[in-house]
Amino acid sequence: MNYFQLFGIELSFDVDLSQLSQTYQTLQKAVHPDKFAHASAQEQLLAVQKSAQINDGYQTLKQPLERAKYLLTLRGVVLPDEQQSFSDNSFLMRQMELRERLAEIRFSDDIDSALADAQKVLTQEYQVHFEQMRAQINANNADENAKASENLRKLTFYHKLNIEVERLEESLFDD
Amino acid sequence: MAYSEKVIDHYENPRNVGSMDKDDPSVATGMVGAPACGDVMKLQLKISDAGIIEDAKFKTYGCGSAIASSSLVTEWVKGKSIDEASEIKNTAIAEELALPPVKIHCSILAEDAIKAAIEDYKSKNG
Repeated sequence: MNYFQLFGIELSFDVDLSQLSQTYQTLQKAVHPDKFAHASAQEQLLAVQKSAQINDGYQTLKQPLERAKYLLTLRGVVLPDEQQSFSDNSFLMRQMELRERLAEIRFSDDIDSALADAQKVLTQEYQVHFEQMRAQINANNADENAKASENLRKLTFYHKLNIEVERLEESLFDD
Repeated sequence: MAYSEKVIDHYENPRNVGSMDKDDPSVATGMVGAPACGDVMKLQLKISDAGIIEDAKFKTYGCGSAIASSSLVTEWVKGKSIDEASEIKNTAIAEELALPPVKIHCSILAEDAIKAAIEDYKSKNG
């Protein structure tokens, strides 16, 4: 049973998150340890395993990049090894520029607006790749699946940039 | 995580940080990235007409091991021919810096950066 089946939803990239969260609560209640207090050790163990599976499924389906990865894998798309170097030059040049921009924020005259501007740019660029990937996944054919996995790799770079921004915010405003 | 002394040395005193003019025909630029950690590495080589690497610069956004790997590579490639430089293996980088298994991909990234730079040179001067 895959995670989409586990949550009783259609095998699609577009997921209703509030419904997903409700189903998660319902599924977890059904396997709650309190319900198995008088059950056999075997049943208790099964309930714990089921609970872990529900949790993994929820975490995977909730996060769009994880969901994309999971859905493409279910379709039999072989995703490039995460450790494999990526060599799309213009994309990497852009990543380098964005990193340089983040590094300069702490030296700017107006740190708040420099940070807000950088976040806006990151969000916009993330959205462009995200919408492309979404359309490609929904097209559901071999060519588009391959393009979607390429966009998924690019989005991973933006995801890491967002983490860098959070770190930067902490270091700028904590002291 | 514990970094080796050599990694810390390269991280604290990186060699050859900087940029060269990427439009200069004698300058080869290699850009590589690692989606797993979001590291981005730029390696630039200045190559003489005789095919000898006269200078090398790098700029890396990433963890200590990625910075140390690229810093080390700039030291190693200087004075080498492009054929000799293309023979540098990630295993040698990892061994020199005593990288732990989880950081081996940083040395692969540095090897790939050399290859990407040489490819750029060949496409410019092919």
